[in-house]
Amino acid sequence: MTTILSLVLGTMFGWLLSRSGAADYNYIQQMFLFESFQLYGIIGTAVAVTAPAVWLMKRRGRTMSGAPLDVAPKPAHRGNVVGGLLFGVGWSICGMCPGPVLVNIGEGKLYAIAALAGALVGTAVFGRLYDVLQRPLRLPPMQVGTGEG
Amino acid sequence: MPPLILNSADPLHWAVGGAGIALVTIVLLFVMNRRLGISTGFEDICSLVIRTGYFNRASLFDARRWRLPFLAGLVLGGVISAVTTGGWEPTWALGMLDEALALGPAGKLAWMFVGGLFIGFGTRLAGGCTSGHGIFGMSNFEMPSVVSTVSFMAGGIVTTQLLYRVVLP
Repeated sequence: MTTILSLVLGTMFGWLLSRSGAADYNYIQQMFLFESFQLYGIIGTAVAVTAPAVWLMKRRGRTMSGAPLDVAPKPAHRGNVVGGLLFGVGWSICGMCPGPVLVNIGEGKLYAIAALAGALVGTAVFGRLYDVLQRPLRLPPMQVGTGEG
Repeated sequence: MPPLILNSADPLHWAVGGAGIALVTIVLLFVMNRRLGISTGFEDICSLVIRTGYFNRASLFDARRWRLPFLAGLVLGGVISAVTTGGWEPTWALGMLDEALALGPAGKLAWMFVGGLFIGFGTRLAGGCTSGHGIFGMSNFEMPSVVSTVSFMAGGIVTTQLLYRVVLP
């Protein structure tokens, strides 16, 4: 059940990213050049609709099936700034953030496979360096991680 | 609005795209009790191969059950989008970068691999990406998400402005 629903939601999400321009190299560059409102409109609308819904769900405190809602906030650390800046550079170079890397592969954009390979190597390198980065960047204990998402 | 690179299709209105993304985010939380977030999926994939240290965490194994099918859905969504806008076809087309810098296939693979390194390392150091911090975290008014989102927007704006206004013209 988890598998099927996740697959369906992921497919919807991927189709939306593809058709809205969020997985389009040009639209990403035009967002960063302040030449197109499209991506600001997408992210702004998504937050404006999700925020009150999350607030209502937290007030209810339970999921649809009645289980306690789990929205533990992410930890704060220096990686938010340093990692954010580095990710921004990568988002600009590729014209893709993590979701669109996979969406572009699905669309048939062959170069996106190299972006995925790079992202996996970058993730593996980060994991290997966690011990080294932990103190200077004030990262949480390894079992907690930097934040799931 | 200019057409997409994909099959020169017309993009959805931003309000429709944003509302659809919100719907997926809300259903994911209300039905499956999961906060939206894609970049941890890179760790999920790494954890299938690397089984030590950072990639040997209980929270990772628990979330793999929903996140790996979700990632597969992202690929499938791209396929469906291509098929329904004129057909699926392998392509190297890269829009503005093709006009500014005529890279061949090998050059594009190298360009994307380098960018990918920044995406993987950066998102995992920041603890999230555009979805986990930018959409979910901001919607939940979490300060680390606001800080991360401002940071990756700044990193992207500076890089693209340098690339297209200073280096490439």
